[in-house]
Amino acid sequence: MTEQIKTDFEKIVKTSAFSEKDVVLKKKYLNRFIESGFPSRKLENWKFSDLNQIIKKNIGELSFYNNDTIPNKVDTSIFVEGLEHNKIIFINGRVEKIDFTYEDQDKIKINDDFKFLDEFSNSNSLLSLNNAFANKCYKITLKKGYSMKKPLVIYHTTNEKIKSRNINLRLEFELEQNSFLRTIDLFKDEAENNFINIFYNFDLKEDAILKNYKIDKVINQNIRYSYNNIEQGKNSVSETFILSSGSNFSKNEINCNLKGEYSSAFINGIFSLNNEQHHEVRTIINHLIENTKSYQLIKSVLGKNSKSVYQGKIFVDTKAQKTDGYQLSKAILLDETSEFNAKPELEIYADDVKCSHGSASGSLDENSIFYLMSRGLNYQQSKELLINGYLLDVVEKITDSEIKNLIKSMIGIRE
Amino acid sequence: MLKINNLNANIEDKSILKDFSLNINPGEVHAIMGPNGSGKSTLSNILSGKKGYEISGEVLFENKNLFELETEERAHKGIFLAFQYPLEIPGVNTNIFLKTSLNAIRKARGEKELDAIEFLKLVKEKAKELKFDEEKLNRQLNVGFSGGEKKKNEILQMSMLSPKLSILDETDSGLDIDALKVVSDGVNTLRNKDNSFLIITHYQRLLDYIKPDFVHVLMNGKIIKSGGPELALELEKKGYENFN
Amino acid sequence: MNTREKDIENLKDYKYGFSTDIENIRAPKGLNEDVIKFISNIKKEPKWMLDFRLKSFKRLQNLKEPDWQKPKYPKIDYQDLYYYSAPKSMSDKPKSLDELDPKLLETYKKLGIPLQEQARLNGIAIDAVFDSVSVATTFKDELTKQGIIFCSMSEAIQKHPDLVKKYLGTVIPTTDHFFATLNSAVFTDGSFVYIPEGVRCPMELSTYFRINASQTGQFERTLIIADKGSYVSYLEGCTAPMRDENQLHAANVELIALDDAEIKYSTVQNWYPGDENGKGGIYNFVTKRGLCKGRNSKISWTQVETGSAITWKYPSCILKGDNSIGEFYSIAITNNHQKADTGTKMIHLGKNTKSKIISKGISAGFSDMTYRGLVDINPKAKNSSNYTQCDSLLMGNKCGAHTVPYIKNKNFNSNIAHEATTSKISEEQLHYCQQRGLNSEEAVGLIVNGFCKEVLQQLPMEFAVEAQKLVGISLEGSVG
Repeated sequence: MTEQIKTDFEKIVKTSAFSEKDVVLKKKYLNRFIESGFPSRKLENWKFSDLNQIIKKNIGELSFYNNDTIPNKVDTSIFVEGLEHNKIIFINGRVEKIDFTYEDQDKIKINDDFKFLDEFSNSNSLLSLNNAFANKCYKITLKKGYSMKKPLVIYHTTNEKIKSRNINLRLEFELEQNSFLRTIDLFKDEAENNFINIFYNFDLKEDAILKNYKIDKVINQNIRYSYNNIEQGKNSVSETFILSSGSNFSKNEINCNLKGEYSSAFINGIFSLNNEQHHEVRTIINHLIENTKSYQLIKSVLGKNSKSVYQGKIFVDTKAQKTDGYQLSKAILLDETSEFNAKPELEIYADDVKCSHGSASGSLDENSIFYLMSRGLNYQQSKELLINGYLLDVVEKITDSEIKNLIKSMIGIRE
Repeated sequence: MLKINNLNANIEDKSILKDFSLNINPGEVHAIMGPNGSGKSTLSNILSGKKGYEISGEVLFENKNLFELETEERAHKGIFLAFQYPLEIPGVNTNIFLKTSLNAIRKARGEKELDAIEFLKLVKEKAKELKFDEEKLNRQLNVGFSGGEKKKNEILQMSMLSPKLSILDETDSGLDIDALKVVSDGVNTLRNKDNSFLIITHYQRLLDYIKPDFVHVLMNGKIIKSGGPELALELEKKGYENFN
Repeated sequence: MNTREKDIENLKDYKYGFSTDIENIRAPKGLNEDVIKFISNIKKEPKWMLDFRLKSFKRLQNLKEPDWQKPKYPKIDYQDLYYYSAPKSMSDKPKSLDELDPKLLETYKKLGIPLQEQARLNGIAIDAVFDSVSVATTFKDELTKQGIIFCSMSEAIQKHPDLVKKYLGTVIPTTDHFFATLNSAVFTDGSFVYIPEGVRCPMELSTYFRINASQTGQFERTLIIADKGSYVSYLEGCTAPMRDENQLHAANVELIALDDAEIKYSTVQNWYPGDENGKGGIYNFVTKRGLCKGRNSKISWTQVETGSAITWKYPSCILKGDNSIGEFYSIAITNNHQKADTGTKMIHLGKNTKSKIISKGISAGFSDMTYRGLVDINPKAKNSSNYTQCDSLLMGNKCGAHTVPYIKNKNFNSNIAHEATTSKISEEQLHYCQQRGLNSEEAVGLIVNGFCKEVLQQLPMEFAVEAQKLVGISLEGSVG
């Protein structure tokens, strides 16, 4: 891999218009990545999902070169119908379009030469990879007091032109005081066997509200990693919803720093997996000051040969009195070949806190199936009805009713 | 026995009791009636020594400054509070709790601590008197008890600890007639020329069973009127809003 | 003074903190083949035992000390320790208790463990381990009548080599982790129990461990075998003198339950925890593992961990036999600068296996407490289930409480349920107890004992009383 990655890097440096300073920094990140490589099970964080092995097995050799100079044609048929929305369209990792038609243009700032080579507190080798290879990083700023009128849909698409490729995406969002953003990440791939590496950073100032919905539903053979870093100021709220179902492998990491008093974070997720799929959600909620709150609910329905992993950590700093933290992860195993792994973790240094977690996994309740069948449903119908009900309460956690209905219709969940 | 002179109490700059004064002599039963938010529970909290209030003024219990005593020292001296919402303490057996409490108080009074057999004899006697389900004595303290059972448990504790001054904080709320009778019987049994009672209540109902010597009306942190038992009836008829 | 106050007076400043001046025989300092041969030789061990040790030692060379645990500790110089220390009078082993060194008897008397015939604890047979060797075993004759073997490990190697050979190292192999393998190489003594088929052991068996000599590591090895349809309840207690240095205690305990057998293993661990500034204390790095080998077998661990500077242990169950049951009940209390990283592993291999984990952690002062546990239900373990509950209580704002469960469900008709909470004692509860005349420490003791009740109930009567006192006393001075 090392030779390939170096050659690809040189190729990019030649074709792109990076400044000399940028190239030096990018090289630093490249070397850092080469040093540690793709994360393997030796790292606690990757214990349940050995990315190095998964890439080797499913893709083999990756290429890292992406030609960023030639635009791709946007296929408008992918657009969500029945929902007026702003758009960012990625095709093969390249930003093809940014469209905020519905918004007041002076309330949103879009900056494309944002220097993103800073570090998160929680950096890993995939961030280094992202820093080394992401072509451009857009920063979107919502001005003070501005509530976006329509949601922003971020289309993540690939076309059949690429294969065995590594794609790196990066977006920055700043939500100034009392601003409001709704985003939907929609994944739709034509290409196969690529490794897609996504980093988002959200900076929420006082009273800001973020709602981020990630919909990975269309079956595809890609390996996806997505990292959200969320910084939260006083009284801010973040809501993250993850539907994890389409990709061959997917890992979503959410790192949330509750730095301002009365800030709160909500993470809800559904895994619906089958046929060799292996998905993970890992969350770290850092309660760093008094009176913050976090709530997580993750449910899995696991079919043949599939595996889901939930790793969730609630950290409570000495200063973070009156923290309220809650985690619940549940799984239904539908087949003898399915597997559920969980590591719900509490690390607590303050005494006046209310923290708890729960985890439960098992098969569908045969008694309930029996009951439904005695009322005339067949086995398949009974099973579907129960799963539907089981997942409904996660979807019900979505606070935006417009998007909730959209997601319900997308995944065919009925009330 | 209890002298309260110009008691003021605040929580976070909010004034709850204002220049509150009250005098209770041995053997007297006083009732304090008032609407929600008038300061009734604050009064019982302060007398029992709950922390979190800014206090000024003077409270003397048997001529000793109450504010110099810790909560448990007040209990040792004979102040008993029947809580409005008795606490649940998971894992702690009711009998063991009672015995520990009784012996702590007996020890402080210089009396002999009771051994398990003496204690059990006493508690069984009292439970019988108060029609308290003995089986509950072996359950975790107040855990899974109904509202009425919790209140009866408070009265059982009161009769076990034989206090000099018993404060009943809305003990009647949420009780059906039978439980109310049990509670008032408990109080009346304990009533004698040495023991005093302070009954805090919203309704006149309890006072049908426990005849008070004095009734005080508390509004906005102050006693606005004092009188005999007839005052309670008057209050019941007029309602708090028209009483002024 | 009432009894409680007396208890506090006695125990407050670690009442087991005395040391006994007894002449010792020691192996030369350090860890090498010669020391291992010395230990084996002085114990007159057969060749297979020496081979077992040397094989482990060889393996040890390739192992590193694990470092993933939360409590970190300064590097231990394994060449600067004595691996064998025995009271001199034991070198010609006394034939009966009457021949025991009176100083030893005195020591155990101070610990409240009478070994003499006339003063024995009713209904409990005791094996006393002093530093590295077992010094006395009581009630032997009565047990022998029923075919029960309860003796020191050294004696078992001599007298029951077939049993030892057959089972030693089958649950904790010589190829295990660093500390377990170290133990396999240098273990000195410990207890051996064999309950024959169909026998219900009529009394509690108990080992009392005592570390006396300084600069000495204690590496005892316990092996308990419950043959088909048998039952045994085993208790273990631990104390050590106060010393400024840290002392290493790396024991191995192996339990084997055959068809329909049940083993109940209880520990009250009160090793010297170090002083209030965190100086001194025992490093308690112990490997305890039980194998439910037979069908319908059951192993139940109960532990009350209040001592040691660092406790690092995970008494575990391998549920191999169909319908077997594993249980783990734990109270761990840390105060001052103590650290504990403890929990269990339940490995479900057989069908219809069940496990239950109840863990209560209390941290106070500057201490740090971690519950770490693994529940692993394998694909073949059909219809298995686990229930886990871990509750933490924090007292004060300088301590930490952590919960790190690993949950792996690979079988679709098995269930795992896990619940964890972290809380503190509410002001209202304290106020209520104080209003009933209890002082704040009594109130805390009462509430904490209530918090721990589900675990305390699992202990045999005699231990439960001691444990309850310990719970209260370990938290002395933590209420402010």
